Amino acid sequence: MSTAIEYFQFVLAPQMLIGLVLGVAVILVALGLTIIFGLLDVINMSHGEFYALGAFIALALGSIGLPFWLLVILVPLLMLPVGYIVERGLIQRVFHSSERHVTTLLLTFGLGLVMEDAFRLVFGPNPLKPETPIAGAIDVFGVFLPLYRLFLIVGGAVIVALVALVVYRTRLGAMVRAAAFDRDMAASLGVPVQHVYAGAFAFGVALAGLAGVLLAPIYSVFPTMGRDFILMAFTVVIVGGMGSIAGVVVAGLLLTQVQAISSLYISPVWSDPIVFGIMVIMLMVRPQGLFGRLGHG
Amino acid sequence: MLAIENLNTYYGSSHVIQGIDLKADQGAVIGVFGRNGVGKSTLLKTIAGWIKPRAGAIVFNGVRIDGQTADRIARRGIGFVPEDRRIFPGLTVEENLTLGYLQVPRRSSAGNAAALRRIYERFPRLAERRNQNGTTLSGGEQQMLAMARVMIGEPRLLLIDEPSEGLAPMIVADLFAIIGEMKQRGCTILLVEQNVQQALTACDTFIAIERGRIIGTGDASDKDDCARLMHAISF
Repeated sequence: MSTAIEYFQFVLAPQMLIGLVLGVAVILVALGLTIIFGLLDVINMSHGEFYALGAFIALALGSIGLPFWLLVILVPLLMLPVGYIVERGLIQRVFHSSERHVTTLLLTFGLGLVMEDAFRLVFGPNPLKPETPIAGAIDVFGVFLPLYRLFLIVGGAVIVALVALVVYRTRLGAMVRAAAFDRDMAASLGVPVQHVYAGAFAFGVALAGLAGVLLAPIYSVFPTMGRDFILMAFTVVIVGGMGSIAGVVVAGLLLTQVQAISSLYISPVWSDPIVFGIMVIMLMVRPQGLFGRLGHG
Repeated sequence: MLAIENLNTYYGSSHVIQGIDLKADQGAVIGVFGRNGVGKSTLLKTIAGWIKPRAGAIVFNGVRIDGQTADRIARRGIGFVPEDRRIFPGLTVEENLTLGYLQVPRRSSAGNAAALRRIYERFPRLAERRNQNGTTLSGGEQQMLAMARVMIGEPRLLLIDEPSEGLAPMIVADLFAIIGEMKQRGCTILLVEQNVQQALTACDTFIAIERGRIIGTGDASDKDDCARLMHAISF
């Protein structure tokens, strides 16, 4: 019995905790992605670079002395107009073409490449690690847990709850869900759909930026940092149901636990193929994902 | 109030509306009749801004609205109840209704609340089901919700497409009573309806459409005009 407890305490629980922190990180990145996909039907291939942009802005502003906690608020606010301009200036221009899915995908892919190179030019190719805003660690039932990671888990849950509250419990959220389901009908009720689309894109980009600020102290800041998360974030969005907030949370927690536990019991080399294999099976068996799309009931 | 001149609308290469001219005065109810696929719904969608016309002009209260976005057209006081009701799934009855506030840009919160109260007084079934998902209502209730969420914006021009389709006679009678009430308030109405006999009781005048063109007009109270209409559209 004591061996089993020790095994749980020293082997399984720490691994699951690593999975949980990674899960929250992936959820934070995937949240904006799923809102943009659910509402605009746009696969934002530059989402990872917006996540990196948030981290780089935080790094730059942090270097001139702005405190981390101010950056947590300031960076998403700065990202809002960036997202709004990108949507109105770039995505809207190709949004109404018959090849919308391809053109928006290629456009955002290109934008991501440009941004990545711009980060390399301005900040250099090497990883930069901001100071951890909360030092120290606690013992949770015998498991060592850095305090900042605990904050990330709690903070991530609060952010998801707030986003869900806005989307499902406010009139603004009702406008977003209505426009996601039926653009024409929402417009005929006076909903300014073009601004709603741009606003939702900006909101998704701001969430990516927020994720960048919060995750930089753990995963460092470097030009290609967006790539590390974006594949997993896309997988979570596909498995959870494209555009579903609940889907992102469930799939995010589930898949990162699969990743963590499979790397323990099988091999870390196999954890990614297993997770992406789940995505492929999901696409074949239940292409709509675990939950429905945003605005589709 | 509404003046349409030489309107031409296409779906891709298909020329659906072929040079329609139409004038509507304030408070008039105009029936738009014709067989399936002749362009009746397309006409309403073009006025509502869902489809951009390729040629012609739509002038509403002295302002050209063709080419404007559907939300701007809605905020000018043009309400649209489309054929299949288009209730938003996942939104409650009240959320569906309060979206309609946006049709009146400068109305105060108190004004919005009063408008919602009036709607609930007129549609007590919707008041009872205000927290229910809109798509779980019966067909008749959904039609009432579709009408009510446009009425909450107090439109000056109302475009209604096939409101009675698939509904029980009692609900259809109630629907036409609402159309009558809207007319009493000075609202101009363009009514597309397959149930021509019933629709004629609510209309002042009518137009008959065939292959995107107006092939006849008449007075709904004139028996000869109505007989010619029935013959023209060959029901």
